[in-house]
Amino acid sequence: MNTVATYLRVPYRAGAIRLSIGTLVLMVLASIIFLPGFLAGENLSNLLAQSTTLVISALGQTFVILTGGLDVSVGSIISVTTAIMTLDMPPFVRVLLCIAVATAFGLVNGYGVARLNVHPIIMTLATMGIGQGLALIILPIPGGRVPDWLSMSVAGSIGPLPNALVWLVVASLVAAWILYRRPFGLYLFAAGGNEFNARMNGVPVKRTIINAYVLSALFACAAGMFLAGRLASGDPKGGAAFGIESVTAAALGGVHLAGGIGSIFGTVVGAAILGLVNNVMNLANVSAFLQSVAKGALLLVLVVSQRRKTIGL
Amino acid sequence: MHALMGENGAGKSTLMRILSGVYQPTSGTVRLRGEVVNFRTPKEARLAGVSTVFQEFTLIPNLTVAENMFLGHEPRRADGSIDRAEVIDRSRSLLTDVFPQLDPMAIVDTLTIAQQQAVEIAKGLTSNADVFIFDEPTAALNSADVEHLFKVIRNLKGAGKAIVYISHRMNEVFELCDKITVMKDGAWVKTAKAEEFNLHSLVATMVGRELQNFFPSRAGETGDHMLEVSNLRLDAEGPTVQFSVKRGEILGLAGLEGQGQREIMRALVGVEPPKSVTVRRRGADSSMRAVNVSSGFSNAISAGIGFIPEDRKQEGLFLRLPIYDNIALGKQLNRSMASVAWRSVSRVRDIIKSLRVAAADPGAPVGKLSGGNQQKVLLGRWLLSGVDILVIEEPTRGVDVGAKAEIYRLLRDFSERGGAVIVSSRELAELIGLCDNILIVHDRKVVGQTPAVGATEESILGTALGSHSTHDQRAAVH
Repeated sequence: MNTVATYLRVPYRAGAIRLSIGTLVLMVLASIIFLPGFLAGENLSNLLAQSTTLVISALGQTFVILTGGLDVSVGSIISVTTAIMTLDMPPFVRVLLCIAVATAFGLVNGYGVARLNVHPIIMTLATMGIGQGLALIILPIPGGRVPDWLSMSVAGSIGPLPNALVWLVVASLVAAWILYRRPFGLYLFAAGGNEFNARMNGVPVKRTIINAYVLSALFACAAGMFLAGRLASGDPKGGAAFGIESVTAAALGGVHLAGGIGSIFGTVVGAAILGLVNNVMNLANVSAFLQSVAKGALLLVLVVSQRRKTIGL
Repeated sequence: MHALMGENGAGKSTLMRILSGVYQPTSGTVRLRGEVVNFRTPKEARLAGVSTVFQEFTLIPNLTVAENMFLGHEPRRADGSIDRAEVIDRSRSLLTDVFPQLDPMAIVDTLTIAQQQAVEIAKGLTSNADVFIFDEPTAALNSADVEHLFKVIRNLKGAGKAIVYISHRMNEVFELCDKITVMKDGAWVKTAKAEEFNLHSLVATMVGRELQNFFPSRAGETGDHMLEVSNLRLDAEGPTVQFSVKRGEILGLAGLEGQGQREIMRALVGVEPPKSVTVRRRGADSSMRAVNVSSGFSNAISAGIGFIPEDRKQEGLFLRLPIYDNIALGKQLNRSMASVAWRSVSRVRDIIKSLRVAAADPGAPVGKLSGGNQQKVLLGRWLLSGVDILVIEEPTRGVDVGAKAEIYRLLRDFSERGGAVIVSSRELAELIGLCDNILIVHDRKVVGQTPAVGATEESILGTALGSHSTHDQRAAVH
């Protein structure tokens, strides 16, 4: 894969990705050995479906974190998207509306951070609140119906390939193409590495930051579509957890929250680790409270054992 | 080829930043090929054919050398994406001309300061400009690389390019430039052919007065051994280093770039602990006692050893804090967290006055001061803390001529009051003029020691390279 090749050439900038890959491999092996039901087709497709929303939203989050920012409004955008998809309108209007709303959220976030110098957490906390309220206004209780084609596109499969995997791979490839092939991707790393020097070199830093938030919102929108398709209905609070989980996934994948260090492949691995933990512990009947403790501990252990260089935190 | 000279704070860098579009002029016009231009961004200037190598590095630490060289003007493919192969090919071919040791795929953060400077220069060459501005390109380079750079600059000149060259190193200016313009306090002073100046008249024009004695007189008599460093091992396998400093002595560490001077200096104060080291200093009862530097710098401070790092802005000062706080910190070092921090305003004022820090207001942020004044603030901090041994890296990096002489005098005063100073510098002339004795470091060990009186740059370099003549190549950028 594209990202892997880039990683091999520029290992430094991808962060502690080997650690994440190793952890994932160990976890998969342990699950296969100790949990008999793990390899069952039903469980695997469950795992895939559960993780895809997380992966897609974490990919968007990665763009923002690379600039040194944070987007906690991701969860609300997912919720709003699922709510809009249940509205009584022609399907393609709903899709366009979702994209428009997400873009608006991204522009507001980016404008606030880049132009008005609002701290990213404050800025996106504000829009998170607005988005959550908006979702509940549109759809006060979970329910409604999403277009059939959307549920089909999530649940079915193309030959042996489950559709969820197609969503996941396409989103990752798009993200990798943006980050590693477009000038914008290089500018993201530059702005996150040293904002002032990036400006001195003619990098349009403010525009880059705004675009990062817009991309994050659009990926959240895609994640919301997938979630709506999977539930076959809307859930005005269904996205709430992803604001924090997407950040966790990126951090597990070696993305430095101070910016400038990270990779698409790392984020996918990080999200897979988090999805796997959820899945495995459900399978092993671990209580939800204990699951939360375990996830927190895992994050801490993995981030602490990443070797820190001079830039990034 | 035009040299722009002046003390720090004379406005050279500001002028260059206007020419390169970083700052906008409040009035006046800039003409390029006879036409009035007004660059609003660095990009516009570069597109118009003005390429600048800034004094402060403008590199991005997490990008590769090649990516840094073409950042902001990457070669594109038809679909608008970056043509990576082209980026790498072109930077490789540019680097073979200038700094062949540099790997275009290396991440900039992993390079030494000298290598980063090389990248900065190479970056200036990527655009096909007609006007090149070099703002102190050699500040962090060693002699071999400087020669290399001069060759490149002469080639540019031969190709009919116009070059503005800023440097505090007089010999470079006389060696390279045709014309010299002197600035002082943000205003033009004099423009003349290089031949019409000599070293003295140029310095006099820059500072507005003749510098009587650039270097203070050396120590008359030195006392007992004050600090002994022995068994210093930088690597597990490496050679051991040992030396000592006497009361009243200024000891210099000389050598080519990156031969271990920095590591030795930092090891002996415990800032970057080595594999092993024994440091002993003379105590109040005149017996030698060990200082446990391996468990951290704070032990060195409590034993009366101060340290001034090369990178003042990043490692030494709190740029946004006032001058007062930056100096007053010296009084609080090594005290219990719970102790009361009395404001000793008058003592700090005395120090500011005695150091002649050029700032009316001790409440002004240190970041606004010139390099020389910032260095004085750091000296002031250690004077206030009462240490009597000072370890100082590159005391005059980025410091203008007038302030250099003052800093030399301050260091000599410090040693004459019963202190000892250990100093490292890339400028051999500085070490020869300032120090009493010079240690020559090569390949992470001390290969020679010489009294500064009578030493020459050639004799020192000869000792350094003679010790390891087969490794000559290492003297270059690597």
